[in-house]
Order: sequence, then C-alpha cells, then structure tokens
Amino acid sequence: MKPKVISIILFLISVNTFPQTVITGKVTQEKGEAMPGANAFLQGTYDGTSTNTNGQFKIKTTKTGTYNLLVAFTGYETYSKKLELKGDTIHLTIQMKEAFNQLNAVNITAGTFEAGDKRQAVTITPLDMMTTAGAAGDVYGALQSLPGTTTNGESGRLFVKGGDSEESQTYIDGSLVAVPYNSSAPNVNTRGRFNPFMFKGMVFSTGGYSAEYGQALSSVLLLNTNDMPAEDQLDISILSVSMDLAGTKKWNTGAVTATLGYKNLTPYMSLAPQNLEWPHAPESSSGELSVRQKTGKTGLFKFYSSFDKGGFTIRENDLDLGGIPVDYKLVNNNQFMNGSWNGNLGEKWSMNAAGSFTNNLDDIRYAQTKVTKHIQGIFLKDVFSYPFGDQFTLKFGGEFFQKAFNQNVQMSSEIHDNSFSNRTISGFTEAQIYASSKFVTRIGGRLEYSDYLKSFKVSPRMSAAYKVTDKSQFSVAYGWFFQNPLDDYLLYTRKLMPERADHYTFSFQSFANGRTIRVELYYKDYKELVKLNGGEFYLPTSYNNLGYGYAKGLDLFWRDKKTIKNGDYWISYSYLDTKRDYRNFPEEAIPTFASKHNFSMVYKHWFGNLRSLAGINFKYSSPRVYNNPNSPVFNGEKMLPYRSLDVSWSFLYRQNVIFYGAVTNVADFKNEFGRTYASSPDASGNYPGAVIPPSSNRFYVLGCFITLTRKGNANQLDKIE
Amino acid sequence: MKKIILSIVVVFVSLVSMAQKPEYFQTMGETLGQYANCKDVADFQALGNKFEMIANVEKAEWLPLYYHAHCYILMSFMEQDATKKDGYLDVAEKSISKLLEMAPGEAEVFVLQAFYLTGRLVVNPMERGQEYSGLVAQATGRAMAIDPSNPRAKLMKLQMDMGSAPFMGLDAKSFCPQAKELLANWDNFKPKSPISPKWGKDQLEEIVKGCQ
Repeated sequence: MKPKVISIILFLISVNTFPQTVITGKVTQEKGEAMPGANAFLQGTYDGTSTNTNGQFKIKTTKTGTYNLLVAFTGYETYSKKLELKGDTIHLTIQMKEAFNQLNAVNITAGTFEAGDKRQAVTITPLDMMTTAGAAGDVYGALQSLPGTTTNGESGRLFVKGGDSEESQTYIDGSLVAVPYNSSAPNVNTRGRFNPFMFKGMVFSTGGYSAEYGQALSSVLLLNTNDMPAEDQLDISILSVSMDLAGTKKWNTGAVTATLGYKNLTPYMSLAPQNLEWPHAPESSSGELSVRQKTGKTGLFKFYSSFDKGGFTIRENDLDLGGIPVDYKLVNNNQFMNGSWNGNLGEKWSMNAAGSFTNNLDDIRYAQTKVTKHIQGIFLKDVFSYPFGDQFTLKFGGEFFQKAFNQNVQMSSEIHDNSFSNRTISGFTEAQIYASSKFVTRIGGRLEYSDYLKSFKVSPRMSAAYKVTDKSQFSVAYGWFFQNPLDDYLLYTRKLMPERADHYTFSFQSFANGRTIRVELYYKDYKELVKLNGGEFYLPTSYNNLGYGYAKGLDLFWRDKKTIKNGDYWISYSYLDTKRDYRNFPEEAIPTFASKHNFSMVYKHWFGNLRSLAGINFKYSSPRVYNNPNSPVFNGEKMLPYRSLDVSWSFLYRQNVIFYGAVTNVADFKNEFGRTYASSPDASGNYPGAVIPPSSNRFYVLGCFITLTRKGNANQLDKIE
Repeated sequence: MKKIILSIVVVFVSLVSMAQKPEYFQTMGETLGQYANCKDVADFQALGNKFEMIANVEKAEWLPLYYHAHCYILMSFMEQDATKKDGYLDVAEKSISKLLEMAPGEAEVFVLQAFYLTGRLVVNPMERGQEYSGLVAQATGRAMAIDPSNPRAKLMKLQMDMGSAPFMGLDAKSFCPQAKELLANWDNFKPKSPISPKWGKDQLEEIVKGCQ
C-alpha cells in the first residue's frame, strides 16, 4: 500500500512542478518498413531515445517551449520538426528519406574493372594481381586473367575485345605512357615496363570509357601509384633473374624512394631449357626515383622518374636466306618521367594536373641492317571538376600530346631516314548526373585536333547505370573512339585520318556476400581503319582509310571468396566473334590475334599453419588463325589452342621475409603461336615456313623479398606474385 | 610528492568541472552504465545514439564523441557482413577525425584510433594487413608517447602482436606473460575522471583465459 501512495504523491508532485510532454512516434523507411535503431531526441537536450524493433519511440520531457525534434539514422537525411512542448501528448509518424551518398550510390561498371582496397565490391584488387600464378609479376600478365582479353603468347601485350595490342593505352597517375612495354624481337613475348608494386590501384576499362581518355580504340588501363609510404624502409628483392634494392626515406609531409635494379637472364637460361637461342640473354640495369609531397590540406604531389638500359641478342633462322641463323641484336635506352598534382582549389573546385615525358631509343642490328628507332613523347593534362550539389558534377579539361618518331635504317648500300612529329590537342567535358541513388548518367564529349594529320575529331560518350536491387545493377555505355594510325604508317604518309571504333556495351553486375557475377555483351564497329592497297610501303599513295571491321562478344566473370574457407577463386570466359578488312588483308578475315573462346580460372588458398599462399591457374584460348601464303585462303590455317596450368607458392618465413616460387605450364601442354614464312617463294614456288614457339615451354621463378624497417615488422606481402 | 599534488589537482579540476556541469556528468554516468546491458549490434547502436545526442549538446566535450565512435567500433566487431562492418567504421571514422582535432593531446584518442584501425584490418586481413598493421602501430605509438602508462594502448599493441604472430613465425602464446602482467597491473592506472575511458579489462581477461 505504502509504495503506491508514495508513487502517486511523487507523480502528483512531478505533474504539479514540471508539466511532462510525451512524444511518441513511429519511424519508417521510404517503403514503409519500420526503422529500428534511429536516434530520436530533442535538439540541445538530453531527452531522447532510440526507436525499438517496430520503429517506435517514446520521449518524456519536462521541457516546455519550442524545441526541435530530430530523428537521425546513418545513411538517411536527418528529420527535423519544431514542436511546442506544453505538457500534452504528441504523436508523430515519420518517414525517413535516404540521404544521397555517392559512395553507396550506383556507379557505372560497363566495361570497367576497378581495383582498390577501400570497398568490398571491387572485382579485383592489386594484391590479387600480384598473387595470380602465371602472371609472373607483370601487370599486363595479370590482366589477362580477366574477361575480354585474349592471350597472345608471342606478344605478351594486351589484346582487348577483338582489338589489336596498339589499341590499348596505359595511363599512370593521369598521364599517358608512350612506351609501356619493354622492347622485344618480333614474335618474342614482352612484359610491361613498370613494377606492379608501384601501384595501389587500377581501373581497367575494356570499352565505353570516359571522355577524359582518347587515342585508344579498345581499352585504357589507368594505374595509380602508391601515396605516402608508412615509414622508412629498405626493400631487397632477389629473383632468379634479377635483383632490386629500394630505399625509402619519409618525413612529415613527404617521402622519397630510390630504386636500383639489375636483371640478367644468362644464368637462368643456362639452367632452364629454352626454345630459342640467345647469344646474349636479356640484361638490363635500371634506376628509379620517386617523390611524394603533401601540399596544403588536401594536395598531393607525386613525381616518378626512371631510366632503363638493356639489350639482348637472339639467333633466328632467316627463312629469306635459306634458313641460315642470323643474330638479332637490340639495345634499348628508356627514360620516363611522370608528375602529378591532385587537390582542391578552394571549397569546391578540385584539380588534377599531370604530365609525362618519354624518351625511348632502340638500336637494332640484323645481319647487315642497322635500325635506330627514336620515340619522344611529351604529355600534359589538366582536369577540373566542380560539384553542383551532391548529384551533379561537371568535369572538364585539356590535354596536349606531342610525339616525335624517327626511324633510321642503314643497309649495306642505302640509308633511309624517316620521321614525323605530331601534336594532338584535346579538350573534353563530362557531366555526371544522379537522378537518384539508383540511377546515374554520364554524358560527355571530346574534341581532338592532330596537327600532323590536320584532322579534327569529335567523340561523343554516354553511359548510364541503374541499380535494380541493393546488390545488382545494369550499365550501358556508348561512344565513338578515335586513334591515330600506327607510327610505322605515319612515317610515310600524313594523308590519313584517325581510325575509329564505336562501342556499344551492356552489362549486368551483382555482388552479394563475397560473390560477384558479371555478364557483359558488346558490339564494336570499326571504321576508317588504315588499309594498304598493295603499293610500295614507302609511298604515301599506298595508304587509305577504307578499312573496316567489327567485334562482338560476351564476357562472363564469376568470383567467389566465400564458399571455400581460406580459398578464393575467379573464373572468366569470353566469347569473341570478329572480322576485319584492314592493313594488308586482301578481304574481310579473322585477325590473327583473335581467339573465339577464352577461359581462365584462378584459385588461391591460404594455408595458415604453413604460413603459405598457394596459387593455381588454368588458361585456355581456342585456336587462333594464321596466314599460310601457300594456301589460297587468307588467314585460313589454325594454330594449336593455347593451354597453360601455372602454380605459385609464397611462404612467409618471417613477417619481413618472404620466399616465393612459381612454375608456368606444369602440365607441359604443347603451345605454338602459328607460323612465320619467307617473304618470297623458293625455287619450287613454295614459301618455306617455321613454327613460332613460346620462348620456353615453362618459366620458373624463385625469389626472396626482404623488408628492413626500424621496427622490423613490415613486410612485402603485396610483393607476392 | 609531485605526483600526489598532480593527482590532487586533477581530482580537484574534475570535481570543479563536475560541479559546473552536473547534468552532463550525470547523463554520461547513466549512459556509461548501460554498456553492461548491451548484448548485440542494435543495443550498441542505441547506446551510440545516446552519446551522439549528448555530443550534440556538449559541443566542447570530446568524451561523448569518443564513446559514440567506440560503440560503432564494437558494432563492427559484432557484425558478420563485411559491407556493414565498413559502414559502421565509416561512422566511427567521422567522430574520430573530429576527436583528433578537438583533443590531440589525449592518449585515449589515439588508443581509440588504433582500435578503429584494427577494426578496418579485421574486415579483410589478407588485403589490408600490411597497410593497417603499420597504421595501428603508429597510433599506439603516439598514444604511448603521450602516456606511457596507458593500459589500453598496451592492450592494442598486444592484440596486434598476437594477431600477427602467426605471420612472423612466432607463437601467439609467447605473448601470454606480457598479457598476464598487463592484467595484474591494470587497476594501477587511474582514469582522469569518473567518466574517462575504463574499458579493455574484459577484453584482456579473455586473452589471458585463452592462454590457459
């Protein structure tokens, strides 16, 4: 009895002294579902609560007067309502509106693979690229496990969606890289010039890319270098074919890294069986210097420069000389410089300025012929972007690219010296508009003027994406793409136009629970391709822009990090149907670099008790065509399919010491890359030919990576290839 | 002697401030009391909401924001879905960056930053391990530089050492003596005020239990 009385008395007192207002409410999401866990409170007071599982809340307050009731929930716009508190009961029904946030909103994925470590939804991360067996630590090698690419073992370069390797461009921190691959002999595979460990992320666009990028008919690879290193360190890499030493010194707002490298394949090639004869195995010395400096609150300045001097001599049987062995000797000198600045200008404007300089010299001696090829490239770009509110961003910028190419050919009796210099000036603009967090469109255009060709081109680009559910979306992309003809043609003529490809891409992507699926359909319409009319190659009249072609196909990608514990795999399949009539083709035909079915599977497993990451991958490309001049059908012969089963093993001996081993083609599949023929028939009217073999059936790598820091606990985990 | 004077001054200052803001200290005390009742993500979210509300009123105080971030970090550890984990940590990150501006002289702020970074690492140790273990070491290093006696800073370091032991070719149990010693001395550390951070002992007890 007594407690009751007391509580009644207390109640009365409280009612008398402080009039109590009761606010009740139900909070729902846009679709009417209850929203539990929302924060409901009176602004500037301690009176508040969270909504229960039914989305309901009840706040009792003794405050009187006008107060703001706020209801907040992460990812939603905060609800605010002015309330007059005077001791009665207020009931509210509140519907929350989803806040617009570009991070969670739909993004355009047609044709694009992105890598980074910030978000989970990305399909491939830089670490994945490094730990892919068979990539042998090459950026381009790793990309060939993605759909849309075709492996061409005699080249090693990127071939994307029925495009030739020259149709792909590489950008580092926004700057075009004029010479992305190492120099190699004809029909001998090459690798990318850049150490994959330099990069923290990449975007690989296999079509329909932004108006920001030009001079590429098929694809662009955008590589972003590492930001600030965490601490001072010394990295030592010893591989069976090379050695690298890198030292990093860091200060408060910047850092500098210097790298020295030496590569020599002589000891390796004397141990591992080779299909080709190398009087002088590839050997090179390189140095790199990279500087990072923070400027102001948001800016970051990056500078990278490298020099590389190397060469090799390979002995080949010359079919034009009756098959006698002839040495092909190459000496390459490459200097590259790249700088960029990224940051905000004032409150809203942001700017990305970039520039690069390339100087590449190839000295080739073949029998009595001496060829010097000199490429110089200067690239400058400035991009501005300005957000009009959250949902509309305008981006625009300009670009300048100068490329000078000089080729000097000395034969026993004659000397030919040809050169050209071209300046391309471009401007582009692009608007990105979010109609909602579910629907985005990007519309832009690009103007390009080439002074050597005196050509002026306009490229419209359009793309859009729609989010069907939280986890899945559709994207489409369309655009015109132009690229100047091959350097080898521009040496002899300036009466050509840029080549053109129109892209139509449709893609579906779904990501849920550590699994990603992508389906992409595309069609590419090639026009104005350079065609040779059969005249002498050095005559301008031998060239025209009457070539054409198409490529269409289906790309599938499946990745699953979830099903197998400590295991992770992805499967890519590409179907490609393409034909062209260009260059020296007598008729429309399948080009030699295209293969109809491409399949790749990558699997990685982490063995915790062994402190090891094991990788295995399998690759299959259906037979490509090659041309046999003895046959009446152009490009009518088929080579063997390409198959390779590769394995790799990384072992963490200590956190700062990693051992690494890899073998390609363990199953010893027989691979060959078509045939090469003499340029003229022998006495019996036959063109003698020879098989193009891989440079070796298997490639072995053994390595050790050591990182020394003051604390002694950093490692080169991202160095595992 | 100096120490005694110092602690008297500290107690005095905190008493004065308590006297100045009785409602703040009372509400904080009550809200902190609810930590014990939190069992799942929803409970911690409600608690985090409460701290956010207090932070909205007490714009000059860093502790409400501190606990707000702490709740969201705990939520990320309780959650299974990786995308949601990162989502909660995004919320914590916002409060922590404010804290770093408001109270850059507080060891506890850097401890919390280390805890937050550990949360990021745990989402995907394979891919984030290298970068984030370095960042955690930096944050704990700064906390210890400000206050070498802070047991939570030591706990953060210990967790990181034990977590990365298998990668370094070490046995995690080799850190057990260190863990036991830290637990034995845990209560020697005196928080600055009744509402200053005290958490971590349970976590450490779990670790020590795992040593047996």
